[in-house]
Amino acid sequence: MAMLEIRNLHVSVGGEEILKGIDLAVDAGEVHAIMGPNGSGKSTLAKVLAGHDGYEVTQGEVLYEGEDLLELEPEERARKGVFLGFQYPVEIPGVANTYFLKAAVNAIRKHRGEGEIDAMEFLKHIREKMKLVKMDDALLKRPVNEGVSGGEKKRNEVFQMAVLEPKFAILDETDSGLDIDALRTVAEGVNVMRTPERGFLLITHYQRLLNYIQPDRVHVLLDGRVVKSGDKTLAEELEKSGYALFEDNAA
Amino acid sequence: MEAAKEQKSVYLREFEAMPATGETWLDDLRRRAMADFERQGFPHRRIEAWKNANLASLAQQHFPPAAPGADIDGYLRKLTESVPDALRMVFVDGHFSARHSDLTDLPEGLRMVSLAEAFEAGDVTTDAHFGRHADTGEHPFAALSTAFARDGALIELAPGTIVERPVVLHYFTSEGGAGMASYPRLLVHAGTGSEVRLVEHHAGVADEPYLTCPVSEIVVDDNAGVRLQHLQESGNGAWHLGVVHVELGRDARFGMHAFSGGARFGRTDVYVNLNGSGAQASLNGLYMVSSGQFADYHTWVRHRTDHGSSEQYFKGVLDGKAESVFDGLIHVAKGAQQTDSQQQNRNLLLSPRATAHSNPRLEIYADDVKCGHGSTVGELDADALFYLRSRGLGEREARRLLIFAFANETLDSMTAPELRDHVEARLANWLDDDRAGGSG
Repeated sequence: MAMLEIRNLHVSVGGEEILKGIDLAVDAGEVHAIMGPNGSGKSTLAKVLAGHDGYEVTQGEVLYEGEDLLELEPEERARKGVFLGFQYPVEIPGVANTYFLKAAVNAIRKHRGEGEIDAMEFLKHIREKMKLVKMDDALLKRPVNEGVSGGEKKRNEVFQMAVLEPKFAILDETDSGLDIDALRTVAEGVNVMRTPERGFLLITHYQRLLNYIQPDRVHVLLDGRVVKSGDKTLAEELEKSGYALFEDNAA
Repeated sequence: MEAAKEQKSVYLREFEAMPATGETWLDDLRRRAMADFERQGFPHRRIEAWKNANLASLAQQHFPPAAPGADIDGYLRKLTESVPDALRMVFVDGHFSARHSDLTDLPEGLRMVSLAEAFEAGDVTTDAHFGRHADTGEHPFAALSTAFARDGALIELAPGTIVERPVVLHYFTSEGGAGMASYPRLLVHAGTGSEVRLVEHHAGVADEPYLTCPVSEIVVDDNAGVRLQHLQESGNGAWHLGVVHVELGRDARFGMHAFSGGARFGRTDVYVNLNGSGAQASLNGLYMVSSGQFADYHTWVRHRTDHGSSEQYFKGVLDGKAESVFDGLIHVAKGAQQTDSQQQNRNLLLSPRATAHSNPRLEIYADDVKCGHGSTVGELDADALFYLRSRGLGEREARRLLIFAFANETLDSMTAPELRDHVEARLANWLDDDRAGGSG
């Protein structure tokens, strides 16, 4: 059984159908990449998987470890190990990163029936993960995502992922807008976390990310449908020929 | 209107029954104030500054002046612990309570006495300043206060006096104060180059309706500094209608943080006149308003001369059927060049039934100034909520965290950081009352 299985998923926003029947299965230990142009439905897919209530699922289902994912509240999904790296991470004025991360870690621990994390243990854990994403200590006391660049926010998403150690991570354009150093850091964060138990869904606009993270499968999303799936060579093909090549399939 | 007229005569009759002091200036002052109140009456909604205030049921009730109050020891103990090592004056139902107060080891240059005592002694400072600043002609409750006030605190700093210990003024309404009125006063005269930090704390034990009209007049001479922590925690049934009036000399500084969480109707008008060059004023605050409560801050900041600066930053959190007003005036007179004045008001509505009025008023007659203002009324940020939930925080916890963060930011500017725990605890209790759960 696949870790995440999407079956014939149809999703509408305000009456307009955005996803028109997605089928996708990601096994534990795999990294899948979804590529597609603007408006193809990439971010809609990410938000629906994380439980955003602005989207209406009209048909189909999503199974996560055999369980109906769409029935779960966003926080339940997170506690069961699903992580979404936001395309546009949200600023939370007045809430320090450490406080936020500790609340998140403890929510997940509570779900697992574990007690609250020990302060020293927590500090050690986040210090270790900060090193992984080359982040500055000063960030911990700062409010979540406030007053930092877009690149810093993306790096913070990867940092949060590393701290929360999800079983299944969806990264929504985490590579977009990053300079090469930041991109390498983000990619390294993902690569270090690749384990046989963990699944990844990388949603990306640009093929460049895939030079640093080798995906097991690549899917091309066009107009709400997966028009082609293949191995990593598909991404290279796309880079050369562009999405036009697939547009007939989409019609 | 008939009812209102009848009420006026009750207050006037009461006033006329009170004995004169024999001090001509004081008796004249009181009579003028009473006449000012008679002329104005209880304000109605057609008066611009009171258009959101519903005082109909206040006008229908009558609150006679309260007698010195009953035992409050239990309530006081916790509060005295939160500001240790303070110079302290306690007023119960408007009357000075020497046995609750602590005026031992007053530093040289600082005088703290009860106003009743000062009136009795024919004190010159009270003669010069008491009732001379708060505008009884424009504010009916300042008028009522000046007419009826018989006690309060007089705080006088000789030039150059730096008071290190905080000066705390507790104004309590005891159970005996239910159904009564109190008119506690504060008169501060900070001499040139002096500095002091004050806490003005209003609290009520009684849940029943009562009226309190506290009026503070604070005169800050050249290059002196006064910081005021204002806490409005009046009882649930209270009509709290207060005034803080500040006069600033050259290079004088006034910093105020106000927190309000009490009273069924709580309004404080803060008047700051920047009379000397380079005067600075900073007014910050947080109001936390529950269903059935009305909270109101009116600020009147008047830049009368050059190089003054002022900033105002007030935030409100409203739940259920709560209502609030922030009405902030920045007035820059013609000659007040190089003024720098900022004002922000942000309101967070936790319920669709809550109403926040936000009304910045800018009157700028000088041409070389920097003035800015901003005002928002909004709900919790849905994106932020989703973001927190996507990291595993429950909806209730996420809402609570966002509300707390919104409110807590304003506590950074508290002028009595010793009381931050007290205010944070109040905020946390308030949020525990299921306000984080959804629309009230």
